[in-house]
Amino acid sequence: MSGPRYSRRAVAVGGGIAVALGLTAVGVTVPRLLHHRYRPSPNDDLFAYLVDRDAAVRVGKAVEMPPPNHLTFDLAGGLRKSLKGRTLAEATHEDLAKGLVVEVKGWVLPATVAGLAMLAAQES
Amino acid sequence: MSPFIDARTLPTGTVLEPDLAIIGGGPAGITLALALAHTPIRVMLFESGGLDFETGTQALYDGKNAGVKYLALNASRMRYLGGSSNHWGGWCRPLDAIDFEARDWLPYSGWPFGLSEMAPWFKRAQALVEAGSWIYDDADARMDAMAPMLKFAGGGAYTSWFQFSKTRDDVLPTHFGTRYADDLKHIPNLKVFLHANAVSLNLSGNAATLDTIDGATLTHKRFTVKPKATVLAMGAVENARLMLASGGAMGVGNQNGLVGRFFADHPIPRDTATLVHFAGELPGYYFNGTQLDGAILRATIAPTEDFKRKQHVLGSLSTIENPVELNEFDKAAIVTAALAVGADASNAKAFSVGCGLELAPDPDRRLTLTDERDALGMQRLKLTNRVSDNDFARYRATMKEWGRQLLAAGTGMIRLNYDTRAEWEGALDWGDHHLGTTRMHKDPQHGVVDANQKVHGIANLFVAGSGVFPTYSASNPTLNLVALTLRLAQHLRGVLK
Repeated sequence: MSGPRYSRRAVAVGGGIAVALGLTAVGVTVPRLLHHRYRPSPNDDLFAYLVDRDAAVRVGKAVEMPPPNHLTFDLAGGLRKSLKGRTLAEATHEDLAKGLVVEVKGWVLPATVAGLAMLAAQES
Repeated sequence: MSPFIDARTLPTGTVLEPDLAIIGGGPAGITLALALAHTPIRVMLFESGGLDFETGTQALYDGKNAGVKYLALNASRMRYLGGSSNHWGGWCRPLDAIDFEARDWLPYSGWPFGLSEMAPWFKRAQALVEAGSWIYDDADARMDAMAPMLKFAGGGAYTSWFQFSKTRDDVLPTHFGTRYADDLKHIPNLKVFLHANAVSLNLSGNAATLDTIDGATLTHKRFTVKPKATVLAMGAVENARLMLASGGAMGVGNQNGLVGRFFADHPIPRDTATLVHFAGELPGYYFNGTQLDGAILRATIAPTEDFKRKQHVLGSLSTIENPVELNEFDKAAIVTAALAVGADASNAKAFSVGCGLELAPDPDRRLTLTDERDALGMQRLKLTNRVSDNDFARYRATMKEWGRQLLAAGTGMIRLNYDTRAEWEGALDWGDHHLGTTRMHKDPQHGVVDANQKVHGIANLFVAGSGVFPTYSASNPTLNLVALTLRLAQHLRGVLK
């Protein structure tokens, strides 16, 4: 199994900066990021893509059905296959180019993002 | 100079014999009178109202509503010189080429001619509605230079532009009666009658021509008009009413039962979606009219013609309205999506989106006569209004596509705010754009008027205005009906020479 192109540390550091900026804009304070700890999971390689896992869990709880395409029967396996050897941004841009989007409480999201969020919610 | 004539001063029994009678002094009627100025055609224009709003005259519009909630029939139009231009918002945008096409997935669609038939008249129409230079198709680069436009990836939605009718500077919009009253008075071959109502169209014995029109005033004066040709220009609702109320049980021009059917308007649901712009503020031209080359423009988001064809969606024109607040779930969705596409949402702001929708033609969305009568003895109307679930679904498809394009560009995202029919209906307003009730089609089985707007089967009766639009577009109708009326004027010059 190939992991993401970037190490978890790199993702965590780089993503953390972006998250700090993003969350400030929508009114969430940075210290909240430090609150939640998740128990180890066989899918941690996938959750490493989620810079803000708390936010993803919140979104994932609202995903009503598995996203379209290959994610239907084995969500984690499908995501792993979709993300193999590339970044989340690359996978989501491919989703968007193919029109693979889903609605989550009305928000139009790339299928892979919705899938990751759904998986995160299942293991929260 | 020829002052307006108050029909209430006419001796009872007066018979007027113009070459052309124009019934109705709104944008279509006034445009036609202006276009036929200084020709040998002796024109008389009959306007029900005066120069200002009068309660008694406006009450002639009273009617009933059924079905999907709609505006009262006496509130969605204005009955005095200038007609409904007395309360329009001045929004202008030309029809698109696809609006004229017969689409096999859209029953009853298609005009008897294409956009090229209308195109020669748009510039003159643009001048009449005073919407400035024609820059609908040419504004992107210059507006972007003024302030960067919202970027979204290629696909099914694109930025288009409204232009606004304006009387001067930023005074909106052109009220045809006020604006053109003096021009009308100076047309030597025109007489304008105010407080002059047409109450019956009387056909010749073989019903092949219109013989006379019964005229009446609210002061109980009766007069007769015996024209060589007549144009009904009272708006889509009242044109249908006069045709249905004339000629016995069948009505005039109603041999195939089409008059009053296919009524349409533009639903304007509020807050249909929430737009998040990751970079924060948007240029002012998304929210308000902005000056460019003497024109006033506002950005709108529309589906491309290619997307319409492939996805079987209809026209919609979405506008960005007001800043809105987001809840915790919304913030989580934004953070999750923005990070996933590698976007910086640190300055993100959210805005409500409104829109005007095109409806699919529906023969059962219609006007019918009731047994109630108005002060002139004319039967009143009932409007049965309908909107199909598919009309909403088509718009959702466009907005979903826009959301996809925004995320693909890493510039923003969309939340669709309504899913159920109850939610949609709860948010509905209407454009007061009356359309379709005397639809145009080359085949009398499918249309009330032909490609020259002549009523099928009647040699000298024509209909002007957006009531002849067989498919409707999402564009506001005034500019387009003015252009179509200029085309009609050209035809009438030939007919009446």
